Amino acid sequence: MSTEFDKLLPALVQGKVEFILIGGVAGNVHGASRLTYDVDVVYARSAANLKRISDTLLPFAPYLRGAPAGLPFKLDVATLRNGLNFTLVTKLGDLDMLGEVVGGGGYRDLLPHSFVVEAFDVKFKCVDLPTLIKLKRAAGRPKDLESLAELQLLLDEQGR
Amino acid sequence: MKATPNIDPVLAVYMRDVDCTLLRENLKLTPAQRLEKLARFASFASTLRKAGERAKAGRGVPR
Repeated sequence: MSTEFDKLLPALVQGKVEFILIGGVAGNVHGASRLTYDVDVVYARSAANLKRISDTLLPFAPYLRGAPAGLPFKLDVATLRNGLNFTLVTKLGDLDMLGEVVGGGGYRDLLPHSFVVEAFDVKFKCVDLPTLIKLKRAAGRPKDLESLAELQLLLDEQGR
Repeated sequence: MKATPNIDPVLAVYMRDVDCTLLRENLKLTPAQRLEKLARFASFASTLRKAGERAKAGRGVPR
């Protein structure tokens, strides 16, 4: 199934989840042309936010992406507290809930490098372009080189 | 669009192949419009994928 970006992001906002959009969709916010298939967010690790994440995602049947069916997985507060980064499949599509990212740290670390974007009739935080490039570089994945090239050109364009 | 000097030489190679016309068109849009475009394209891709699955299963649209 494809990710329903126009439903998934508003669902997180309406559930009052504290998160910062990163990854390919953040690249699209900045003007990148590459199609992405999942939503990547860095979420706040406060107890209240873990509860909001659990409550918000529960109706969308979150499950570990790529895991065999039938595992006793439940994205509740205890699971979120005991884990950190979750790659999930939901009824609205693929969602990566990241407690920390290489080169960027956690939610509080990224907060000063984020800005508010309004889309799909909701407002949410998105990482800024220089930080997004930093995160992609830190990840060091060969598959990111093409998207990094686009992002660098977009940054160059901003600097003109 | 011109590459920044002092850029990683490997990245510079990739930057040469970027279709800057797509980036320029995107930069004419607001961030909200860019995300709406992404959502529309994802929906389109999903429709195509389902059509492909139907065709593979022998249930394609008859000619």
